[in-house]
Parts: sequence; structure tokens; C-alpha cells
Amino acid sequence: MNEPKSPEGLRDPVLAAVLANRLDGIVREMTNTLLRSARSALINTGRDFSCAITTADNQLLAVAEGLPVHTFGSHLQTRAMTELHADLAEGDAFLHNDPYLGNTHPADQTVLVPIFVEDRHLFTACAKAHQADIGNSIPTTYHFGAKDVYEEGSVIFPCVRVQRDYQMVEDVVRMGMRRIRVPENWRGDLLAAIGAARTAERRLVELCERYGRETIATFVEDWLDYSESRMIQAIRALPEATLEARGAHDKVEPYLPEGIPLHVRVHVDPDEARITVDLRENIDCVAAGFNESEACAINNATTGIFNCLDPTTPRNSGSFRRIEVLLRENCVVGIPRFPRSCSIATTNVGDRLVNLVQRAFSDLGEGYGLAEGGVSLGAGAAVISGEDFRRGGSPYVNQLLIGGNGGPGGPHCDGWLTYGIPVVAGLMYADSIELDELRFPIRFEGIRLLPDTAGAGRHRGAPAMETSYRVREGRMVIVLISDGQHNAPRGVLGGRDGCLAETHVIADGDAEEKIPNFHLGVLDPSSVIRGRTNSGGGYGDPRARDPKLVLEDVLEGWESIERARDVYAVALQGRIEDETLGVDLPATEALRREGANPARPG
Amino acid sequence: MAYQVCVDTGGTFTDAVVADASGRLRVGKAATTPAQISRGVRAAIAVAAREMGQSPEQLLADTELLVYGTTAATNAIVTRRVARTALLATAGFEDILLFREGGKQGAHDFAAPFPKPYVARRHTFGVRERVDAEGGIVRPLDEEDLCATLRTIGERGFEAVAVCLLFSVVNPVYERRIGELASELLPGIPVTLSHQLLPILREFRRASATAINASLRPGMATHLADMERELRELGYQGPVLVSTSTGGCMEVPLLLEQPVHLVKSGPAMAPVAAREYTRRERATAVAPGETPIGEGRDLIVCDTGGTTFDVGMIRGGDLVRTRETWLGPRFTGELLSLSSVDVRSVGAGGGSIAWIDEGGLLRVGPQSAGSEPGPACYGRGGSDATVTDAALVAGYLPDEGLLGGSMPLDAPAAREAIGHLAESLGRSRPEAAHAVLHVAGESMITAIVDITVSEGLDPRDCVLVAGGGAAGLGIVAIARELGCSRVLLPRTASALSACGMQFSDIVFERGLGAFTTSKDFDHERVERALREVTSHLEAVEGSLHRKGEASAIELFVEARYEGQVWQLDVPVPRVQLSRGDVAELVRAFHDIHERVFSVRDEQSDLEFLTWSGRLTVTLPKPCPPPATGGDAQPRARQHRQAFFDGVGVVETALFDGQALAPGARIEGPAIIAEPTTTVVVPPRARALLTPGDAYLLHTGVVR
Repeated sequence: MNEPKSPEGLRDPVLAAVLANRLDGIVREMTNTLLRSARSALINTGRDFSCAITTADNQLLAVAEGLPVHTFGSHLQTRAMTELHADLAEGDAFLHNDPYLGNTHPADQTVLVPIFVEDRHLFTACAKAHQADIGNSIPTTYHFGAKDVYEEGSVIFPCVRVQRDYQMVEDVVRMGMRRIRVPENWRGDLLAAIGAARTAERRLVELCERYGRETIATFVEDWLDYSESRMIQAIRALPEATLEARGAHDKVEPYLPEGIPLHVRVHVDPDEARITVDLRENIDCVAAGFNESEACAINNATTGIFNCLDPTTPRNSGSFRRIEVLLRENCVVGIPRFPRSCSIATTNVGDRLVNLVQRAFSDLGEGYGLAEGGVSLGAGAAVISGEDFRRGGSPYVNQLLIGGNGGPGGPHCDGWLTYGIPVVAGLMYADSIELDELRFPIRFEGIRLLPDTAGAGRHRGAPAMETSYRVREGRMVIVLISDGQHNAPRGVLGGRDGCLAETHVIADGDAEEKIPNFHLGVLDPSSVIRGRTNSGGGYGDPRARDPKLVLEDVLEGWESIERARDVYAVALQGRIEDETLGVDLPATEALRREGANPARPG
Repeated sequence: MAYQVCVDTGGTFTDAVVADASGRLRVGKAATTPAQISRGVRAAIAVAAREMGQSPEQLLADTELLVYGTTAATNAIVTRRVARTALLATAGFEDILLFREGGKQGAHDFAAPFPKPYVARRHTFGVRERVDAEGGIVRPLDEEDLCATLRTIGERGFEAVAVCLLFSVVNPVYERRIGELASELLPGIPVTLSHQLLPILREFRRASATAINASLRPGMATHLADMERELRELGYQGPVLVSTSTGGCMEVPLLLEQPVHLVKSGPAMAPVAAREYTRRERATAVAPGETPIGEGRDLIVCDTGGTTFDVGMIRGGDLVRTRETWLGPRFTGELLSLSSVDVRSVGAGGGSIAWIDEGGLLRVGPQSAGSEPGPACYGRGGSDATVTDAALVAGYLPDEGLLGGSMPLDAPAAREAIGHLAESLGRSRPEAAHAVLHVAGESMITAIVDITVSEGLDPRDCVLVAGGGAAGLGIVAIARELGCSRVLLPRTASALSACGMQFSDIVFERGLGAFTTSKDFDHERVERALREVTSHLEAVEGSLHRKGEASAIELFVEARYEGQVWQLDVPVPRVQLSRGDVAELVRAFHDIHERVFSVRDEQSDLEFLTWSGRLTVTLPKPCPPPATGGDAQPRARQHRQAFFDGVGVVETALFDGQALAPGARIEGPAIIAEPTTTVVVPPRARALLTPGDAYLLHTGVVR
């Protein structure tokens, strides 16, 4: 057995604690600036953006509260900046949304600001935000059907300078303004992202003045080593194993009639303190917008691993040294071959990838891994667009963020209710009904939790939600890029699968029309769109669930008395209305003794 | 002889601050007695009264104003000991409180359970009605169904009702109707209507405040009535005011309807105290050769307790307010969106535990030894190394212990606890102790930076005002890290909130939604809203029993760039706005936006949402005479060994604070022991006792 090389200890454990805290503070300040000053709802209500700081040699250093899918690859983008721009100077800012150069997908426009201290490039501030529009050939930032980047039509900025000497390069802004829908929004969001990155610049320069450039450089080195050693400890706590999981993205007519089969192989090597994820045994790039970018392939696999470790493990290039993601070129979850489209790289296949990796870890046994979380992006996550009758027909386009999927059950507790999708894991905010109705000509009919939908388990998944709405006047274009109508989120270790997603359009007094995962349609005021999300998969045997938790679920209308009995083997007596409902312990014990013949899936 | 008495009943201690006719403040502290609050109140007043040679009953008989502060509302919410509350929401949207607004702490943390809604789903009822964004009726109210629901609520024994319908802020017709029907069908059960309590858009925030308010009404009504009766039994005859989260106080009748203003009212008073203390420094001209603290100087106000560190601000002489106050952790706690004094709390204090993580990094908190068992040096069975233990081992605490010797400390226990850390760190005990204080200061620095950042302020331009029993231990080091040159630490620092109540005014706010834009400004609608706000506030003022010296109504509006969703408050000059006024409003917004977010966008139109007014009725404030007496030539009581950054263990003078005279200057390294607090003056810093009865600490940072 080879003793892995252990990094040096912290040279100054006190100063390290102080400076790590300051860096996090700076990223939080960037986040606050962007959140509060941005224009599009995705950023300012949805929080679909992230900030990070990398070193000049392109190591990810600090991410604070950013979405993993955004921040884990920031260093790939700054690498493009240092490689492409030999004339990097103070006062520069770059706009980068190129998935072939380290970005996640074209909708995630990233502002990069190189930070100079005493004329030396020391850090880069990264502010990445999902745009409301990027000039695609259809009014959504997710062009799932695009066979290549040309059909996709997004404006791609391959790490283009947008500020020199702190002044806007207006040529570039004008290009964007000509090609992007609702251009004022876009310009406002770009300014907000630059404002956030400049905030980080000021603070980092001050930090270096206060502590000295050399001290900071030493700290950075130590901090990455410290993070690596935390990761080593986390991996050594796992058993040695080679784990495998298979799954699939739903079929998508007519582009992918077979869906996209997916495979991960995870090797956990506690002796070497290393985790390897092999994604190479997957199909080639597809002629649609589903291909993972390199950044997404790496960061979604990494997210799945982090979901199964001590959540305080630092997230930076130091801890990443112990993770290897094996990719191949021209693979749907690998390195995309230009001009294959990565339009929806951050979500669909990405979500499945996170799920597969975390589910694979559950094969280590009770106490490890997670079930799968919901993956649908139905009615509540549609991109809506049209003209607002209340504002002289002025155009609007926006992605809704309402009533997301249920989260996965895990070893410690039930799934998180407002989970969204695996790549955001509950971090994003939901829209306010009132603000959406104020801003768009939409009217919601209702948003509710659906009882008896949770993937049952010792820790159940969170239930599905139902969202329905209509357009008030005129026509509303709806673009859906969902998943989860055919392949449900899987339960683990005896936990049940989550439920399937469904979307319907109901014309007044007419029959329901079922809408596929992927859909571009038009609503008129006489019809309502109604979507049901996935629930999360369960973790462990539902008949081992604490009867008190089952009682609470029934009292609160998350589960029915029947399902409590049939699926969880818990007998209840009394009434909900007068709060007399309670667990019938002898009957429950009897039901659970019969457990040799588990009930059929509910 | 007329006194003014303020009482702050915290979870553990009750503080009383008595101002005599000369304006001098005396502090009394006693244990809080939850079963009968007035016993603790009497005991705390008795401590202060004894100093004045009186009984508490005598003192209360001669008191002309009593301001009462309580954590009862906060505690009721945290422990869920509130009324059985029903929520009425628009049918189809019954899950508003369950879904919240999303957001979660920790991307990879799957061990945190999803929070329960403040009102259970089974206690939530749909109302068949619907109003649109412009206030139009989409679906008329189904009164028959509503009446059936109200009867069910009556039958099922609910004690309070909260109503939050979509767009009730734009058109309150149905909420009003529910209020009418409920008063018929549910007599005696208090009903809170969301549009009256909090007229803002964003249904979750409105519903959350409404539900919390409703749930507090029966309990707080009883609490306030009992308290008033018990005070009368103690012989107090005068009016009673109650402190609120607006940083002011209110008469009891208004709080019976809106008890939500009581939540977090204690911490809101610390900035009020800080403002007055710095004013007083100006009035007394500090001391010969000192620059006075500038008029309108921005203040950072820190209150360090045993388990929490609270930080607030005074900006340009005004309290800084927020519409986002979390009770408990962000995302999973309860959200209060009423305008209240912005005070951020972090779990850091004397009881925070120091430890070393798997990677060898020194950490302090978030675990706390609290007050039971407390730090190792309390000798109550605690063995973990805490911040207080570190202060002892570093040589910062007087030998006789805390509270003037009435609380002795177990030094060997502290040394043993810190010794374990020292070994793992490979440092000496005093070095390790100092390291703990240093890292503990970090979470406080984070909290300070976070609040200054969201105001777009630079801490270096601010004066720090420190309060709380543990305030003086590390505040100079924190100020130096932040680049602040001066710290003010009042001698009465340990009861900062109760002191703030001595200096508070009657404050009441009212807002009304009236959406309009700068491009298409609806003068008529805005004027109507502002008139209604003003006349409401004038009616409130008219209803007050306690009349002030002066009163004023400040108007302000929440505004944002078109397409944004977060607002900033902008002052509004008058009710009837001219075109010029609107242009001025727009200019003011650009400035504020640039200050807070580093960007301005003059090409963008503005949206105006809620028009509000804040009534302030100014009350007389105690104005103490300059302090006199004591030793102008400070003499150390003893010398001891203490550890300081950069110099190691050095001989350090310990002064008895009570023996010092105003104007006394003490050069660091030194320690000043006051009965309820200890001030550490590191090398290169110096302390000055001002005539305003505060220590002005110069950190040595040149600004």
C-alpha cells in the first residue's frame, strides 16, 4: 500500500482561518451586489447566478454560496482568458459564454475581471449569470433541438473584452443589443455583473494592501493544500469500491427517439485518497442541444461526489486534486466537438449525471449516497414570451421558476421540498406569484403540493408539486425542455422511485392534451397549462420509517392514511380534524411483522 | 423627584436603567422570572434603587415614564408557544407559507430537514376569490363558502385568524369583507388582514408577517395587560410605553393589534443608545485636545453577549432599517418583512467553543457552551475551551472574576482547556488563547462587513460603538482589522438595549401600495396614497396619551429600476409632488443605487411601489451632567502578565475603572476593570475616559 503524499500542514492556522473568511466575505459581497442590482427575474429573484474568485494561475479559490454547476468550472474559463489575452491589463473585463472554451452553456454569460496588485495579475473575479435571452433562433435560452451551434443561434462571446481601462467597449455592447431580445435587460444585467466583479477587485486589492502580497500568496498555497487534506480525510472515511450506475435521459421526439442512455463508473480508493469518475463509456455527441460542455461534465460529476461527503469539505481546486473525471472527446458527457450544441448542458443530461453519481454511492450501503432528485422542468419552469397587452404590446421573455421538483431522500433526512433540480439542489429562489403577474400577462390558477406522490422510504423523497396558469390576453409562447416523464427519479436501498412528471394543456370545456417533455407551443386565454413535477426518490425501506414521521405526513396531508398503511406499514387511528390522529402501535407492529411480504409499490 | 425607568426583560437577565432628574443613568441587573415577569423587573429596579438609597416601590412611585422592552414575542415564536392560528389564503395558493421563497444554506448539505410552515397546512383554508395585478376582480368572493369556513374555524377552536389574499394590497375589498364577516361569526377572535399590516407585494412575505402577527395577538395582549397591572401593583402610576423593532416605542393599545413589532425589539435599541452616546460626546466636547466625533458620523454598533453578537448601524445620524429580518437561520427561520432596525446576529460570544478541524485549522463556534455549563472557567462542569477562557488565559480578566467579584472564575480549568488547544497548535498557552480571540473576532468582522456592505459603506469611515458584557475584550483588535481609528465604549455598555430605551421616541410607520413609474408618473394616485398615509399617522398621533415635545412625519417610497425586484427606500419631500420633485426623486435614487450597488443606470426608468410615512413623536431624553470626581492621575491597582499580538507576554497595568476621573488617559497595554465589563487596551492603543461617561479608545489606526 502506497502512503499517499500528504500536503504540508497549514503554516499559520490562525491567519488561514482569517483570510479564508475574508475571501468568502468578498464572494458574498459580489453575490449581494449582483442579486440586488440585476434586471432579469432569473437573476434577481431566481438567483440563477454565481460568483467565484480564481488565482492568476487559474485555480478555483473561493465560491461562497454559488451554484456548484456554475462555479466548479470557473477556472477553466479564466484559463481561456489568460491564454487568449497576452495583453491582460488592469481595468479589463471580459465576457465569456463559450462552452468550447470552458463555459457551462451559452446562456451563462460570465464576466471575468483580472485583478492586479502592484502591476501583477493575482486573481480573477468571475460573475456568471443565466441570461433571460441570448439571441437564440427561438425565444428560449434552451434550444434543445439545435443540431449545431448555427441552428442554435446564440451570440457567443469567446472571452471577449468588454471593458478596457474601466470603460465599456461599446462595439461589443452594441452587437449584443442588436441580437438579444429585450436588450435593455441584457445591458442592465451585464452592468450588474461587471459591478459585482469590480467590487471584488476593490476588496482583494485592499486585502493585499493590508496583509502584503507575499502573505496572501502563501495563504493561497496553504489554503489549497488544507482543502486537499480535508478531502483526503473525507475519502479515507469511505470503503474501497468500484461503483456503477446506469440511467437515461427521457426520449425526445423526433431528435432522440431512444433517449440518451447514461453510464458512470466511480472508483473510490481510500488508500490513495482518490475518487475517479469514468464517463467515457457513453455515446458520442448528439445532433441536438443536449451535449455536456467539458465544464458541465466535470462539475456535475464532482457535484454528485460532494453531495455524498461531509458538506463542510471546502470546494476549490485544492480538494478537486483528489477527484479525477475521465472524459473523452466527442462524447455526450465529455468534451463536445464544435459545432455540436451544448445549449442545455447545465440541466437535463447534467441533472441525470448528478443523480447517477450520488445514487452510485448508495451502493456502499446504508449511510452512504443519496436517492435521485426530481429532474422535470415542466410548466413551472417554462420560458414564456409574447407581448404584454397592458404595456402597448411591449415584448417580454422570461423563465418561470415556480413549484419545482421534490428532492431525494438521504441517510439523514427526507428530501428538500423546494429542491428544483439536481444541479441547483434547492439553492435557487422561487418566483413570487404577485411579481410574476405584475410583470407578465400571466395568471396562475394554483400551485400546490401533491399528496401521495413522494418516493417512499425510511427517508422519503419530497412530494411533487402542481402548477397551473394561463395567459390573460393575447398569445403566449411556451417553451418546455423537461425530462422525467418516462424515467422516474430512482429510490435506493429499498426506497421507492419518485413519480413521473406530466404536463397538460386544458382548453376550456375541452379534453386535456398531454404535452411532451420538449415542446414549443402557444397558449391563448381559453386554455390552461398544468404541470406536475417529479417527486424525489426514497432512501431505505419505507416500512422502517419512524411511525411518528408518517403520522406527521398524514396530519399535514402529504400522505394519505391508506398509503401510511399500505406502503409504510403504519396504522393510524383518530381524526385529523380534531387533532386526535395518532399511531396505533400494536397494529403498526403487526403490519410491520408481516413485512416479509412487502406491499406493492404505491 | 421624577425618574424615567426602562426595563429590558431578556431571556436570562432583566436590565433596568433608571434616569434621575439630573439625567444620570444607573443600571440594575437581575435574573428574568418567566412565571411572573414583574418579580424580575422589581429585582432589577431594586438594584439601581439601592444605589440611590431607595426602595423600588418608592422609586416607581416617583417615576413619570416607564418604557418596557420584552423578548416575550421573540421567544413565543421560537418556541412556537403561540395562539392556535388559522390562515385564510386565496384558493389554489394555500401552500404559500409552506413553499416560502426557496433558497437553502449549503449546496451539498442533505442532512437539513425542510422547515415546517409557520401555520400548518391543516390549519390553512382556501378562500374562493381572485383579484388580478391591477386590482380587477377575476373571481368574485364566494361568501357562502367563506362563511362555512369561518364556522369551521370557530368549531375547531382556533384562537386567531390571519388573512392573506393575492393582490389584496392593490384591492383590499375581499380582505375587508372577510374581516367584517369574521367579526360577526367569530366574535372575540382577533383577525389580522395582510393589507393592513404590511402593504407590500410578494405574497410569502406578507403572509408570513400576517401569520406571525395573528399568532401573537392573544398571548401578547395577556402579557402586556399583566405587565401593566403588575406595575400598577408595584405602585407605578404613570404611562407605559413599549419598545418596538422600529427603534422607537409605542403605546400599548396599538401593539395589541400589531404585536409583531415587539419581535426583536431589544437588539433594535442598541443603535439608539449608540446614537445618543456619541451625541453626548459632542455635547461634552470629549476632552481637551480631542477631535469630537463628527456630526452625522456613521456608527457601527456591536453588542457582544454570551452567545450572540449583534451588529447594527447608524448612518448619517439615522437608524438603518431593513425589510428582511430573519428570526432564526436565513431560509429556514421565520421572515419578518416589516421595516425594522437592521440588526444582524451571529452565533459568537464569550461562550463560543474553540476547536481544531481535521485539516488542522483553528475554528471558533458555531457551537457554544452557553451559560450552562458555560466556559470552563465558570466552574460549572464545562471543559471546552471558550472565548472567555481564552480571555482569562491571555491575562485580560481581573483576578477577582466578573461582575465586580460576585462571579469568581476557575483559572486552572481555563488553563487546562486552552492547554489542549495549545498542544495541537504547537504554541504556548497565551499564544493559543490569543489565537482563539483572533479567530473569534472573525465571525464578528464578517457580520460587520456584511451589514456595512449592504449599505455600501466603508467600515474605515465609521466609529465603532461597543456594548455588551464581553464588548471590551477584543473590540480594539476588531476595529484595527476593519481599519477603524476610534471605538466608543460606554461605561453602561453591558445594558446597551435598556439604555437605548431611555433615549427612544414614539415611532410608528404606515405604508400604502401605489404602483407607478418615472416615465408615466401618476401624480394623482401617489398624492392620494400619501394623503391617506399622512392622515392615518395623524390619527395615530391624536390617539396617543403621551404627548411629545415635537412630532414629525417623514415620507419615503420604495423604488427600483424597471425590471428589478428589490427596492431601495428614497425620501419623499412632500405629499403633493411637482414634476421637479419627481425628477429630484429619480436623481436621489440613482445616487443611492450607486452607493449601495456600485452601478447607476440613468437610461433606465424607475418603478415606485410602496409609499410610506414614519411618525416620530419626540420624547424628552435624560441629559446627564458631565461626570466628575475620581482620580485624574490614573493609578494602576496591580500589574499582571498579559499576551498581546506582536509583543507576546508583557507586564500590563490593571486599573479600577470606578476610580478614574473624566479626562483620565491610559496608554496600552492596560486593562480597565468595570463592574459589568472589562476593557482591554492593547499596546499602541490608548483609552480616554470622557465626560460623557464612556471610554474612547484610539486604536492607533491612522485615518
